[in-house]
Amino acid sequence: MSGEWGAYGVTVRFGRTTALDDVTLEVPAGQVTALVGGDGAGKTTLLRTLVGVVPPDSGTISVPALRDIGFMPTASGVWRDLSVDENVDFVAAAYGLRGAELRGRRAELLEAAGLAGVGDRLAGQLSGGMRQKLAFSLAMLHRPTLLVLDEPSTGVDPVSRVDLWRLIARAAADGAAVAMATTYLDEAERAAAVLVLDEGRTLAYGPPEKVTAQAPGTVTVSVAREAARLQGAADRDSRLAGGEANHGGVSVAREAARLQGAADRDSRLAGGEANHGSPTTAAPVDRGYSWRRGHEFHTWHPGPPGPGERPLEPDMEDAVIAAALADRAARAGGGARTGEDREDIADAGPTGRDPNSDNGAVRAEAAGSEGRNA
Amino acid sequence: MRAMIFKEFRELRRDRRTVAMLIVLPLVLLVGFGYAANFNVSHLKTDVVGPQAQKVAAALHQPFDVEKVAPGQGAPQARERLRDDKADVVVVTGSGKGGAGTVAYIDGSNLFAAQKATGALAGAGGQVEAKVLFNPDLKTSWIMVPALIGLILTFIGTIITSIGMVRERQSGTLEQLAVMPFKPSDVIIGKIAPYFLLAALDMIVVTVLGTLLFGVPFQGNAGVFAVGGALFLFVVLGVGVLISTVSQTQGQAIQLAMMTVMPQIIFSGMFFPLASMAAGVRWIGYLLPLTYFNMISQGIMLRGASAASLWLPLLLLTAMAVVVFSAAVLRFRRDLAPSRPSTGRATAAPPQAAEAGAR
Amino acid sequence: MSTPDAPLVEVEGATRRFGSFTAVDNVSMRVERGEIVGLLGANGAGKTTLIKMVLGLIAPTGGTLRLFGREPSRQTRRQLGYVAQGLGLYADLTVRENLAFVAEAFGRPRPSELPGPLRGTEDRLVGEIGWGLQRQLAFVAALGHGPKLLVLDEPTSGVDPLARARLWDTVHEQADSGTGVLVTTHYMQEAQQCDRLVLMSRGRQVAAGTEKDIIGPTTAVEVRTDAWARAFDALIDAGLPATLAGRHVRVADTALPRVGEALERAGLRAEVRQVPATLEERMTSIDRAA
Repeated sequence: MSGEWGAYGVTVRFGRTTALDDVTLEVPAGQVTALVGGDGAGKTTLLRTLVGVVPPDSGTISVPALRDIGFMPTASGVWRDLSVDENVDFVAAAYGLRGAELRGRRAELLEAAGLAGVGDRLAGQLSGGMRQKLAFSLAMLHRPTLLVLDEPSTGVDPVSRVDLWRLIARAAADGAAVAMATTYLDEAERAAAVLVLDEGRTLAYGPPEKVTAQAPGTVTVSVAREAARLQGAADRDSRLAGGEANHGGVSVAREAARLQGAADRDSRLAGGEANHGSPTTAAPVDRGYSWRRGHEFHTWHPGPPGPGERPLEPDMEDAVIAAALADRAARAGGGARTGEDREDIADAGPTGRDPNSDNGAVRAEAAGSEGRNA
Repeated sequence: MRAMIFKEFRELRRDRRTVAMLIVLPLVLLVGFGYAANFNVSHLKTDVVGPQAQKVAAALHQPFDVEKVAPGQGAPQARERLRDDKADVVVVTGSGKGGAGTVAYIDGSNLFAAQKATGALAGAGGQVEAKVLFNPDLKTSWIMVPALIGLILTFIGTIITSIGMVRERQSGTLEQLAVMPFKPSDVIIGKIAPYFLLAALDMIVVTVLGTLLFGVPFQGNAGVFAVGGALFLFVVLGVGVLISTVSQTQGQAIQLAMMTVMPQIIFSGMFFPLASMAAGVRWIGYLLPLTYFNMISQGIMLRGASAASLWLPLLLLTAMAVVVFSAAVLRFRRDLAPSRPSTGRATAAPPQAAEAGAR
Repeated sequence: MSTPDAPLVEVEGATRRFGSFTAVDNVSMRVERGEIVGLLGANGAGKTTLIKMVLGLIAPTGGTLRLFGREPSRQTRRQLGYVAQGLGLYADLTVRENLAFVAEAFGRPRPSELPGPLRGTEDRLVGEIGWGLQRQLAFVAALGHGPKLLVLDEPTSGVDPLARARLWDTVHEQADSGTGVLVTTHYMQEAQQCDRLVLMSRGRQVAAGTEKDIIGPTTAVEVRTDAWARAFDALIDAGLPATLAGRHVRVADTALPRVGEALERAGLRAEVRQVPATLEERMTSIDRAA
């Protein structure tokens, strides 16, 4: 068979729940293919169909022989009561690796994983990051042609994650087909292709640049941008002078940072320079379809941009959220907002807060005050 | 396959608890049953009273160990001696010729001793009439029910409590409780009280059912029984809490709890009489709370023993309760409140307060 | 004692030793009203210990730590909301029962209505409602008493992107209404949602400020080539910290010429240019240097 491993049109049902609904994932050799989604999205199920643990109800699976697959399960799959060396010994024995070949492979992998000096240490005593690197080394030990990694970076600190990602990239560079699940988009963004799953269905699939380019509908950003440009410097000055007064419960420093952040983002707006001099964008009308990115509001609506609207070139996060919203809107019946999918969890219970702490109100006030200050 | 076996042994070697289970448990069982499991009572504490006490006492031989001879006393005192567990057998000699009318009163609550005594007396030709008190038909169930109450409380107190506590720790909710505005005592009492109440309820149910189903009498004072039960509960709940503080998972808690419950079953005297255990292992029995609860429950239910006669087991249980429960509460408290290694922190505060005020 | 102007969290030279091990070493930081402060660091950096000190679970062995201008106490806990990594919910109780317990603990009326996605789950066991909903419930539970300070430990792990955006909406709303937020995270995307960041490494505070402040003028080298795999291997073999980014290769902490040399030696032609470093790259190099 060629290097085109993968799952094609796979559906998996567990009782009455559909864990995977006609999902296709190609895992080409020499690249990393990422699976993104939250818990219960179907990532693990799809990976388990690839390694043959879960038989699909329909669709086809194309994978090499089991002994040419390397699998790293979510719970890392190292034996905590065994030392690093003993873990390697066990997996080596399972694949019949011995002698000089094992010695060479052990040295190479543990060296690359930064575990060369800790062969005697119990796996249970390694830090989370080191343990994941060990688990990866175990999955790689027998030089699999297909490497299946289930959330290898979950719970791994950022510094170890850089190492782990380097190991994964190296495996792909050396020709392995790598399929890896992750809950984080910044990781998926670095893969050659991304499959975004939600409740077992495909939200988006393709190379990251294609996923962002083909995001459904229109994403706009709304923040007091012009005021920000004028205000940012002034506010920063006042902050430096120690005048960090509170303003309506929100520190000026925070406002300055918020506005500055917005200004920095301008370059991403389609149209670029043409935007100068345009008035402040309004606060998002529809909270169900908007989300925060630091100090900006991003808002999505189906269809092309309206007249006078300046769409944002979505990044991966925007694109995936847009896809999720489009999917939800489609399932709710034609894009009309039902009110049920408002996921505002702040309005639960008595918070004892000013009822005006609704986004729009606060933002309007903030924008107003900036206007005055300017 | 070889790899699997090899790996499994390596892992087991590191899992100290399981190794302990594998080694300690068989040893406990072997030693326990080997040395402790002895139904054969060779010595019976015997009093001889009545007019011909001296003569009869001289004639008695194994298994009767005559410890007291009191010609001036009679049947009422004999009953009292047995009730207070001062003797296994009291022979009340008759005034008749050749010892006629002599009655041996036997403590039926001490089942194996009583069986031995009746057997020995029957073998002696039946000159002495044997009267078994407290358990006239020598029913095993009468002995077992009071002991089972203790065993059930041990199970619930130790195993259920430790599981419940570990679950709180395992799910991370203990940390959540620690950052809520609860006093540590709120959490500790709130956490332990339900188990205490449930176990107490269980005790009542088992006692009532035991008496109804098996016709086991309840001769003594329910108040004293309740006090003994409460003290015992403090001990077993305390053990449960202690186990939870050294266990990471519910499995570990169950493992440890089993290791504390097993010896109690063997060495507490509930199956095998303490008196007939080899001296080398008998002391183990005297370290276990269940031993003393058994003394109290059997004494009160079957013999109607008084609080005064049970002072020793009550006192020892009180001591155990204080020690174990305090240790448990302190360990638990450590998980809830910050340890304060430095006491000089407050003195460093004023400059910061001033700075904060100036902002 | 009311100190309305005091910072919500004020840590001055806080140190915590466990035996001979120093988990937190002379850390100073503060969280003001309406501010979202992100705490970043490698494993063993001391984040968890610092968070536990803020929560009042561990007392510092040196330095001071004040919450709302006071020593941490049972009173300060009333104004504190905490969402733990493990969420700290009772899986065997229903959604309603969990919220009722928390409400009673804080002496608050029970919440009458649940927000959107949790509606309808009131009588289901928490253990059965799925991780994403459990996260949202943990937020509802932590916000029910209107805390002045919200402490979040890895708040969105295991959550899908949309739900994560929603949780961050909630966090921003809280901040907008004056609540201070202290949040630990492993993810740069989340770090970018914060107003200020504090980077820790081996118990010490190694950098602090906005994302921009921390990255400063540092740069990385981006390598664009059709043969990314060969370029990647060549750079790794040259001992350079190369990483894969899509079909490009990035090299942090390295001058442009060194990258060029390494590629040349391997006989590779590639487009090489200097680009601003990412927060992750900067953080990694700070951590390695510490």
